[in-house]
Amino acid sequence: MHDEHAENVGAYALGALPALEAQLFEGHLAGCDSCRGELQRASQAAAALARSVVQFAPPPSLKESLMAAVEAEAASVAEPSRAARARKPARRSWLPRLRPAIALAAASAAVAFGAGTLLTQPAEPRTVAAAVDQGRLPDGTASLLIPEDEDRGAILRVQGLPDPGRGRIYQVWVQRGEEVVPVSIFDVDSKGSGAAAIPHSLDGVSAVMVTRERRGGATAPSEKPAITADV
Amino acid sequence: MESVQGGDSGAFETLYDRHGGAAYSLAYRIVGTRAAAEDATQEAFLSIWRSQKGYLAERGSVRNWILRIVRNRTIDSLRRSLVHDKRRASGDRIEETEPTPDRTDVEALRRDEARTIRTALEALPEQQMRVIELAYFGGFTHIEIAEMLDTPLGTVKGRMRLGLDKLHTELAEVVS
Repeated sequence: MHDEHAENVGAYALGALPALEAQLFEGHLAGCDSCRGELQRASQAAAALARSVVQFAPPPSLKESLMAAVEAEAASVAEPSRAARARKPARRSWLPRLRPAIALAAASAAVAFGAGTLLTQPAEPRTVAAAVDQGRLPDGTASLLIPEDEDRGAILRVQGLPDPGRGRIYQVWVQRGEEVVPVSIFDVDSKGSGAAAIPHSLDGVSAVMVTRERRGGATAPSEKPAITADV
Repeated sequence: MESVQGGDSGAFETLYDRHGGAAYSLAYRIVGTRAAAEDATQEAFLSIWRSQKGYLAERGSVRNWILRIVRNRTIDSLRRSLVHDKRRASGDRIEETEPTPDRTDVEALRRDEARTIRTALEALPEQQMRVIELAYFGGFTHIEIAEMLDTPLGTVKGRMRLGLDKLHTELAEVVS
């Protein structure tokens, strides 16, 4: 079992493990000194890759544009409504829609590098109550905790959920346009409580949903969402 | 760094002056066009400006932290843009035979370091170097790489693991 996990060290350090595999590996890491040590070496080597590239000077216009945005935000701190507008960065049209298979990989990178801060630093969050299918989850409630900066993702919290059943697990999805993208899986404790991170930007996300899937997760929902939070 | 996290735009400008070039160069290496590299760099630095508490000194240098953010943001954008196949056909490239000249001793040292790391990377067995580059700079998962190279998943993972281990050994002084 250890060897099976240790095999993932390099792929994890390079951000090349899909989300579900990365989560399983992180679970193993918590109790394995050997893998943590090897991962530290691999991560140091991976970090060096960033410093290996041919160096080019950025155009002056990039700094001008960046500092203009920063100065505007700094000046608008005293005016919350203006600050809220400024926090939405302009995005260029070269960023079309996510593809499900690619999104899994994107989630992996986010889990690998961002989930830790996400879970510990929600700044001035807002909470969105989620709709729960009372037929399937009669005692269930759920809410979505969204930090002020939606680029940092969100946290889904659930209570009163039944055990998903033998060999099954709850899986979180996000809807972007017409696409439904897998994000993470989670289990609930004996009281039916649980939480899951949505570790990437909510930009373009219209809803966060939960279904019950086979343990290990699915690439597409196998049932109607039991929980839906409109973002 | 504390001043940046406290909302000091002057400190942030200094941070950009120190690391903006490396960040832009990394983004350009990944996306292959000036416009996309500028977008990714700007998005990454804005996220740094807004993150307030993101940097933890015990987790490594400011430079590595910034470059990790740049890499993640750029790969994320790349995946959303689906330009893996098209990005290098846009005609929006910097002439790679003419990198910017060294202006300071620090920049000269960084260029030396970059050359050292590239040399170590290129000294790896080709198959190991290839999977590492596809994953790190291409943003591909091991599953996509396995399909691309028609190679078993376990072999791809093994090459990544071995390659990074050798790289660490070769670059012990650089990475420590």
